[in-house]
Amino acid sequence: MYKLPILQSIKLFLISFSFVYRANFLALIMGVFFGFLMSRAGATTYDYHAKMFLLIDFQLMQVIGTAVVVAMIGVFLLKKYQVRSITTGAEVDFVKKPYTQGLVTGAFLFGIGWAMTASCPGTVPAMIGEGKIGAIFVLIGLLIGTMAFGVLQAYIAQDGNIQQACTWEDNQNK
Amino acid sequence: MEIEVWSGWLGGLAIGLFVILHFWLMGKPAGCSTGYGNVCGLLCKKIKYYHQGEYSDRNNTKLWFLIGIPLGGVLSALGSPDSWTFSFDMGMYKAVLPQSNAAKAIWLIFGGMLIGFGARLAGACTTGHALVGGAMMNPPSLLAAAVFFISAMLTTQLLFLI
Repeated sequence: MYKLPILQSIKLFLISFSFVYRANFLALIMGVFFGFLMSRAGATTYDYHAKMFLLIDFQLMQVIGTAVVVAMIGVFLLKKYQVRSITTGAEVDFVKKPYTQGLVTGAFLFGIGWAMTASCPGTVPAMIGEGKIGAIFVLIGLLIGTMAFGVLQAYIAQDGNIQQACTWEDNQNK
Repeated sequence: MEIEVWSGWLGGLAIGLFVILHFWLMGKPAGCSTGYGNVCGLLCKKIKYYHQGEYSDRNNTKLWFLIGIPLGGVLSALGSPDSWTFSFDMGMYKAVLPQSNAAKAIWLIFGGMLIGFGARLAGACTTGHALVGGAMMNPPSLLAAAVFFISAMLTTQLLFLI
């Protein structure tokens, strides 16, 4: 066991700690940014959702339109100069969501939920941070819905055997 | 409780720059709803789907991104002129949602279930499909974003006008 001076060992600990957890730490900071911007853009205020879909006020349309155009230019530049990302050190991976069979059905259900709760998965945590009690219930529903999808997928993968689909430990032992 | 809201152009510009910054820092598209799968995997050990594939490591950046969002909400609320309070005020939705608090809660949980299930079935939420997918000009994402808007608009019109 090597004994280093205390200051040096603290320094080495901090360096290795930040190296191992830098991606998660940066993600946390990005999350804070995202929540703040969502809130300031008006996406966490119930009325803007209602007004947008009733075609009264186009605040959120402006937000998403401007954001997409700005981000599009950014993506174009990142691709053109083949910029390397900070955490992975590799070129930015523009992985695209594929077309899946349930895409339209899922999007339709999502839209109904969006209209019913005036929130989407990205804004729900920010709304809780702002102290909106309604968002806590939406979060509970969101987790139930996500969980239901996982159970359904396992159910399909197990040829409709619900007993097998819900016992993960048993499957691991096989 | 009022949150200070920037003008649409400024908010959009900031979010657009955020998407670019996220690409540059993290090296992959930003996304919210996948993080809920990580939470489900952590909450319930028996759901196999959230312990394999992209969920085999659940303590990843998606989860920490999700944890960061409420902190941003708190910062935004603290930075607003009004003081930070809990409220169950639904704004314009007060008129169309059920009147009692319990019924409202059930309504919101049901809506949340539709969002959670729909987001997993469609593969991403508004952030992943409309914002980031739109910026990458990914055809399935554009289709999904269009369906999001159309079905949400139809439902809202039904809620408020009929």
